[in-house]
Amino acid sequence: MEILKVEGISKRFGGVVAVESFSMLQRENQISGIIGPNGAGKTTVFNLITGAASVDQGRIVFMGREITRFPAHRRTDLGIARTFQNIRLFGNLTVLDNMKVAHDMKVRYTLWEEMLRLQRVRRQEREIDEKARYFLAYLGLDSYADQKPQNLSYGIQRRLELARTLMTEPRIVLLDEPAAGLNPHEVRGLMDTIRKIQEENALTIVIVEHHMELIMNICSLIHVLDFGKKIAEGEPDAIKKNEQVLQAYLGEEV
Amino acid sequence: MFYLKVLEITSLYTILVLGIYLMTGLTGLFSLGQGGFVSIGAYTAAIVYMRFGLPFPLALAFAIVVGAVLGFLVGIPTLRLRRDYFLLVTFGLGEMVRAGLLYLAQLTGGALGMAGMPKKVGLPLILGSIVVITFITYSLKRSRFGRDCIAIRDDEMAASMMGINVYAHKIKVFMISSAITAYGGALYAFNILFIEPNLFNWLESAKLIIITFVGGLNSIAGVIAASAIYYSFGEFFRFIDVWRDVLLAVVVVLVIIFRPGGLFQGLSLLPSKLKRKGR
Amino acid sequence: MNWNILLQQIVNGISLGGVYALMAVGFGLIFNVLKFSNFSHGGVVTLTAYIGFFLSKYLIANFIVTFVLTAAAGGMAAVVIERLVFRPIRRKGYPISMLIVNSITVAMLVQQFFAVTLGANYYSYPNFIKETALHLGNLTVSKIYLLMLGISAVVLGALTYVIRKTKIGIAIRAVSSDISTPSLMGVNVDFVISVAFFFSGVLGGITGYLLGMTFTVDPFIGSMILKGIIASIIGGMGSILGGVIAGLLLGAAESLLIAEIGAALTPMVIYGSIILLLLVRPQGIAGKITEVKA
Repeated sequence: MEILKVEGISKRFGGVVAVESFSMLQRENQISGIIGPNGAGKTTVFNLITGAASVDQGRIVFMGREITRFPAHRRTDLGIARTFQNIRLFGNLTVLDNMKVAHDMKVRYTLWEEMLRLQRVRRQEREIDEKARYFLAYLGLDSYADQKPQNLSYGIQRRLELARTLMTEPRIVLLDEPAAGLNPHEVRGLMDTIRKIQEENALTIVIVEHHMELIMNICSLIHVLDFGKKIAEGEPDAIKKNEQVLQAYLGEEV
Repeated sequence: MFYLKVLEITSLYTILVLGIYLMTGLTGLFSLGQGGFVSIGAYTAAIVYMRFGLPFPLALAFAIVVGAVLGFLVGIPTLRLRRDYFLLVTFGLGEMVRAGLLYLAQLTGGALGMAGMPKKVGLPLILGSIVVITFITYSLKRSRFGRDCIAIRDDEMAASMMGINVYAHKIKVFMISSAITAYGGALYAFNILFIEPNLFNWLESAKLIIITFVGGLNSIAGVIAASAIYYSFGEFFRFIDVWRDVLLAVVVVLVIIFRPGGLFQGLSLLPSKLKRKGR
Repeated sequence: MNWNILLQQIVNGISLGGVYALMAVGFGLIFNVLKFSNFSHGGVVTLTAYIGFFLSKYLIANFIVTFVLTAAAGGMAAVVIERLVFRPIRRKGYPISMLIVNSITVAMLVQQFFAVTLGANYYSYPNFIKETALHLGNLTVSKIYLLMLGISAVVLGALTYVIRKTKIGIAIRAVSSDISTPSLMGVNVDFVISVAFFFSGVLGGITGYLLGMTFTVDPFIGSMILKGIIASIIGGMGSILGGVIAGLLLGAAESLLIAEIGAALTPMVIYGSIILLLLVRPQGIAGKITEVKA
């Protein structure tokens, strides 16, 4: 089944074309990747899909629904989750609260009930608390529940970002350079984690990455961007041998 | 007798500080126009009571409702603006309120202000109000509302990525703050018994913001403490009252540089033992 | 409608608008470089208004000397403020809101300080110019206003030149677009920021002097900064030309409005229009919309 269909989206910033006519199809239970040299427009594609930026042209269809003009928060509510290239955790909230925030849109009490702290509120808060702790434990982070993100190591923060996406009850998760800054051991741990999350939660995942080992190992489909345009698409083996891809990367470290 | 007066005034101002806590302390919205809401609340209550003869509780209710509605109307267009612009636009709005009050002299008494309100508001009502407002503020802070405020303050973009409707949330925050502030203004009118358009200018609004920062953005108790100290200090030491603001300014600058969590950052309303797990 | 009077109002307004333009640019400079609204600029204006007064009354009654000294004092005051109040916050990486709050606090500090010490008195600058008015055809133009306009024009022209053509100007522009990269290229970012503050302070000093000369000196003179900030916003924060045009427009509009509908309603119309403008075009006349990078 198609989860996400992106048709010919384009975006320019001022005079610069960031993305041009990008299309992709994402099915369920799939892990695909988007690669390309620096500045190729990969993060912009994510921004357009999640609604952080609006497309100039093109359509985005999610689970059969056209979401092209939907605001970001609504897309998240529908099931699109993402992590960020530069970790964007909330520094003034504890790890636990960071998790809870990601679930807040699903909460069912009203403002008035909140002001009076009625029974309903207390009950739902307990439920959110349990759920947050559950997902923290799921990724081995439960001992950090009451700490602030800045006190955690980089690898732990990245894992927390991952755990946070699960709190949004996603159907699709977009990971923006999840391996950046991790050492080889951590990268392998990340690969296992991604596979585990995908299998156990029946998710479909798109990864933007520079780290070739990660991409080639866990993605079944790879899209290659260069200067905002897609120059290749296919399975890892095919991409590895693709002339244009190699040329795009010439001079860059692979 | 004197101490009673001091307590009343200090508490009145503390209500105003609490009024902006949700907006400025938790959500990071700076408004230099809160004075406008104080005036609106004060004048609404006074006019409703004095000119239309409605009972006092109704006058208070009117003030709250008008405050909230105005907060909604003002918020709709302005909360999409970036922080600096919002600050300036609210300043402009505060000035507009002031000008409006002066202009509509038939209704408001113009530059002469309004006087003759009976003293309906005494210490019990003021303190009771503080308790209720604090309870509401604390309840909101502990649950989804507060979390989302802090998330928005920290990183608006990430907050919207987590599913938070940032714009709608800001409007709610602003409405609540405006309602509380207007309520404070109404109490003021019936306690101090004289109001005029220059009652609460942008400087006073700025002071509310500053006191919030000194007290600690994440600590309601801290903010109450800072407010209590500042406003009572001025009453006790009337002779150096004027230096109070200079002193405040110096303290604020130092606090922000060296103790950005606020002077009372560790202070919390409930001792940690009483707090439930996970806040 | 009496065109003469209309023209008269506009001319008066434009002269005041020149000062607004000065304030707008002084404010906008810091906004460009450090990306925050520096309200302490108002404090610098107040401070220099007083300094200019005391210099010209008690030291030397020479316009040019006191003018230059005051401008320099403004520059130094701004640098000191940056060093003491903003740099520590910048160094520790605190959010911008802290900078804004502290800048408001400094403005308050200056205002209250003067309110406490010298507030009771109204001070007037000595009259430098004999014959206060000039007659051009049917118009009577106050010489002081003309002077303000002339000085504003010269200063802004000089500033534009410095920003465009000199090394330090280029450095300032580099730091404005990206605060970390220039240091990688050997630029001393702290120094550049100090220079930007110096320029901004000089503009503030000139503003303070001109305002003090035209009106009387009181602790609240710095509140005029808000008009300058408004001009800066209308013109598009960060654009010198935009700030200038907006400042002049604001001055002229204000002058006309006060004459037509009175001083009570004028603020309402002006603020109302600005709010409308911001809703329709949040970036002002000449500004750019910046998108947040994810």
